[in-house]
Amino acid sequence: MKKVGSFPRQLVLVAVFAMLVLAPRFASAHAVLVTSSPAAHATVKGPEIAINLKFNSRIDGAHSRLYLVDPSGKVEMLTLAPQEAPDSLAAPAVKVTAGAYTIRWQATAADGHITRGEIPFTVQ
Amino acid sequence: MLLRAATLALEALTLGGVAFLLIAALPARIRAGTVTRLRTVASWSALALAVAQILSVATSSAILIGGSGFTLRDVATADFFLLGLVLAGSALALFWLMRASSRWTLFACAPFALLVLAASVGMSHAAARLDHRPLLLSLTGLHHIGTAAWIGAMPFLLMALRREENQVTAGRYVRRFSAMAMTSVSLLVFGGVGMAFFYVGSWQGMYGTTYGIMLAAKIYLLLLILGMGAGNFFLVRQIERAPAPLLVRLRRFSEAEIGLGFTAILAAASLTSQPPAVDLTQDRLTSHEIVERMRWEEPRMTSPPLQALVPPTSMQVAVQSSLFSSGNENDANDRAWSEYNHHWAGLIVLVAGLLALLARSKRFPWAHHWPLLFIALAVFIILRADPENWPLGPRPFWASFSSPDVLQHRMYALLITAFAIFEWAVETGRVKSRISSYVFPLMCAAGGALLLTHSHALGNIKDEMLAEMSHTPIALLGATAGWSRWLELRLPQKRDSKIASFVWPVCLVLVGIVLLDYREA
Repeated sequence: MKKVGSFPRQLVLVAVFAMLVLAPRFASAHAVLVTSSPAAHATVKGPEIAINLKFNSRIDGAHSRLYLVDPSGKVEMLTLAPQEAPDSLAAPAVKVTAGAYTIRWQATAADGHITRGEIPFTVQ
Repeated sequence: MLLRAATLALEALTLGGVAFLLIAALPARIRAGTVTRLRTVASWSALALAVAQILSVATSSAILIGGSGFTLRDVATADFFLLGLVLAGSALALFWLMRASSRWTLFACAPFALLVLAASVGMSHAAARLDHRPLLLSLTGLHHIGTAAWIGAMPFLLMALRREENQVTAGRYVRRFSAMAMTSVSLLVFGGVGMAFFYVGSWQGMYGTTYGIMLAAKIYLLLLILGMGAGNFFLVRQIERAPAPLLVRLRRFSEAEIGLGFTAILAAASLTSQPPAVDLTQDRLTSHEIVERMRWEEPRMTSPPLQALVPPTSMQVAVQSSLFSSGNENDANDRAWSEYNHHWAGLIVLVAGLLALLARSKRFPWAHHWPLLFIALAVFIILRADPENWPLGPRPFWASFSSPDVLQHRMYALLITAFAIFEWAVETGRVKSRISSYVFPLMCAAGGALLLTHSHALGNIKDEMLAEMSHTPIALLGATAGWSRWLELRLPQKRDSKIASFVWPVCLVLVGIVLLDYREA
């Protein structure tokens, strides 16, 4: 059979290498926060708040985290309550004082994608 | 995301190798030397799959252990960890079985191939769905099987054809492959349409979300590949008439199909990182917003002064804040700066495309210098793409590389320069080697594929989606340009390559026009 030029293997390697070097940044935004309590930018009454997050997909609660950033910038890791539904993450009531807080969440979806996000809110 | 792309591509290639060997090659009584060669390639693909999967599990584990206080024992109980190990272990078993020489070890590959498939499907969107989970897992499985037995098996067909001396045998396994490919396409489309029904949910989900836009990109690539596949199907039916030239044409089209197919797999990997459209009920684009953004306006050819841009934060702050939030809102001057960049880049590409079209005619020999315009584009990118970094901004040259965006832009500039020089040397006859002539199409195709995964952190979901709306067509035109140029260079018959020779300059012109109409507000 007639041979028409050999396959340029070196160039394919260069193309593959280029793709690896050019590793694109990609927001891995698989699990989407559907609702939260407190809601983003909401003002809530203290001194105790319950935190509840609901997602669009099944969340692996045992491998997810919730953090609370207080007005001074100190980050506290919250203990997660047992999951009531496969798509929710919750923390028992937390004692807070007045000021601007942020909940930082890190959710591991059932398919292994890890997603992070922030919910800023104010305590009266 | 890139590891996900690598595992999806290698999964398709490995399972495609198993399928080709068991369904097409062995029943067609392909000669032993070729079987050994195909088994070697499949084995290396399986090993690469195992490595990519282990890296993927390690990356996720490192995120959980490093930043979140989990122990390795905690992480080892996660589904992704267990399924990842099953996939990597099965891929290693495939590597070992493919390395062996006996026939029974080839049949023993089948259960491990199924395990790879099951583990991969277990880590897909379907596994995390709240509703219709078993149905979606089945549809995803069919989609993976279709991809593997068509796109993944095609490189093995090409390798077999390259080594084939007996045209009767070649005809036999080409026909078997053709039947397998037709079935696979049906499975792929059936699974894809089913998933689209559940994941997209509505027409607005299709055009108003990033998931929908990426899905549209996949559909475009599929139609392009199917168009070529249909041509191949008719070639296979006539193969007894003139086997040698038809097999060469078949091989050339198959090369382009493989390239476009793996581009589609990259698009699929970026889809797996997106929430399904049906879940995004807020911040969707309306048809009115899309029409408004696409409406032609006079390109911005003057730039705001550098001092008018938002002052840059330090590199540490920029990297930290990118972990939990999706970028900062840009002000009007930042947007004007970016639009000016895109519009000048568009003008350069448009002129390059028009000159490349003129160069098709013998009357304009000077038009063959069109690739030099891309060097101007590379300089332009280095100077203006990242104004907060060297040479215009305060962040120093080396430190600025820690930002993935900057690294990406600079690598693009370097690659553009490289392919501009190679293509200029080829176009003007300074370099005659065939390999040099492949630099332009391969870089163009790789650039297009990468652009499909490029995201813009504009701090506003709608603005990000509108930016995607212009970048996705550019990516698809880039991939089309690359593979049409490839066909122009590789097709043996003048008539076929002549058609391909007009496709890629037109793609360049269209890329220029899309860039000239780019807006950020």
